[in-house]
Amino acid sequence: MSIEVLQMFISAALIVSGVFFVLAGSIGIIRLPDFYTRMHAAGMTDTLGAELVILGLMVQSGFTQTSLKLLLIAFFLFLTSPTASHAVANAAHQAGLKPLLGHFRAPNPGEAVVEEEEEH
Amino acid sequence: MHFSPIFILDFGLMAMLLVVAFAVVRIRSLFAIVMLQGVYSLLSAAWFVSLDAVDVAFTEAAVGAGISTVLMLGAMLLTDRQAKPIPVHQKMGPFLVVVVAGLAMFYAIGDMPAYGDALSPANAYIGAEYIEATKREIFIPNVVTAVLASYRGYDTFGETVVIFMAGLGVLLLLGLNGNAGKWRAKPNGHNIGEGAPTPARNPVENEPKPVAKSTKAKRTAKKTVGVKS
Amino acid sequence: MSPHLVLRVVAKMLIPLIALFAFYVQFHGDFGPGGGFQAGVILAAGIILYALVFGIDAAKKAVPPSWIRIGMSFGVLLYGGTGVATWMLGGNFLDYTQFAPESTHAAGQHWGIFAVELGVFCTVTCAMLAIFYAFGSRTPELSDEDW
Repeated sequence: MSIEVLQMFISAALIVSGVFFVLAGSIGIIRLPDFYTRMHAAGMTDTLGAELVILGLMVQSGFTQTSLKLLLIAFFLFLTSPTASHAVANAAHQAGLKPLLGHFRAPNPGEAVVEEEEEH
Repeated sequence: MHFSPIFILDFGLMAMLLVVAFAVVRIRSLFAIVMLQGVYSLLSAAWFVSLDAVDVAFTEAAVGAGISTVLMLGAMLLTDRQAKPIPVHQKMGPFLVVVVAGLAMFYAIGDMPAYGDALSPANAYIGAEYIEATKREIFIPNVVTAVLASYRGYDTFGETVVIFMAGLGVLLLLGLNGNAGKWRAKPNGHNIGEGAPTPARNPVENEPKPVAKSTKAKRTAKKTVGVKS
Repeated sequence: MSPHLVLRVVAKMLIPLIALFAFYVQFHGDFGPGGGFQAGVILAAGIILYALVFGIDAAKKAVPPSWIRIGMSFGVLLYGGTGVATWMLGGNFLDYTQFAPESTHAAGQHWGIFAVELGVFCTVTCAMLAIFYAFGSRTPELSDEDW
């Protein structure tokens, strides 16, 4: 088995698994009940899926300039994608959106820190 | 008609553009509309890449999805969060115009040259000349830059002046410091953070302003009070 | 602790890289996609990101509004001035070959395109920032609950 064939198989496996994660995230966005769980599905799978797809493309292109550019894209995606998810979820929490969770109710933002305050 | 991957990609992107356009028309939350416009720009950038128009795609991604989303959000913060519902009878006129224009465009499709046709007017005369001449007259690989900056230097000068005028107009109307914090935004008709007046953002820059501006600011302040009472 | 701590750390890492990419797009525009307009928009986007994360007053300290007024006009003047310079050298308006008439590899064209793209870059960056500052300064400080 030559190196090209091996390269192709590895990259195909990586890309297919990446696509699987992205698909799982998309199904999660549609099926899950509330904002935070959807954010969980979208944020985590999106980062991992995109990283896997880019890794597969890198394997396919070998040691070239294209590979270097893909590595940079992967690096920036690795930084920005979780940050964006964090920012969105954090903004929702700050705005007072409660997660949908049986009997448990999350405390209002600020209430957890200053418990004596009877503002609300 | 052959179903190559590129064809399917183009078709999928166009379909997504159509869906996003309908969503923009249907949704009334302005925040969602601004975000969807960013999505629209990103999708059209991807479509431009598949058409090999990399420079246009780059511009679309940077301007449409990047800057204009932020600027629209900034503008939205100064107005309402929701679009006012429009009664159906007011929508009929614009709908008629859209239908007529759309039918005319469908009628005109028959005269369009095929995609990538080398003999189409856009590719045949001056375009082919520029592509051929750039190599021996300007010696740079990117034909787009050569056409924009050298062959069509006048046009680009005009575009630069247009951007300058846009910035100048905004500066003349709003000022770089937004009247130094004297003006208050009232989204959906209620004051944000009512009570303590916000201190001027730049007191040092605020003082040496000409008298005319301060009287104008006072007048607007009076007007707001009149509306409130 | 600020709720925007993660955003601030990541933004601090990314903003220099965004600025570097803007300059790459600017000066590599002859060889790849890009040019003054795109580079200006990218640099402005980096500064706007700084303003969004660290507050508009911090951004105004980093890029003072007076620079913006000057830069906006300087870009147009640089573009027009290149044209006037070609006049002075005896050619038509924006006829860059006059900068190096004897050059066999069109060095005059290269200089002309460089100057013109730099003018576009200045104007676009400053105009975008001017619009953002004008809108952003009018918005009162929004508390997160107002959303």
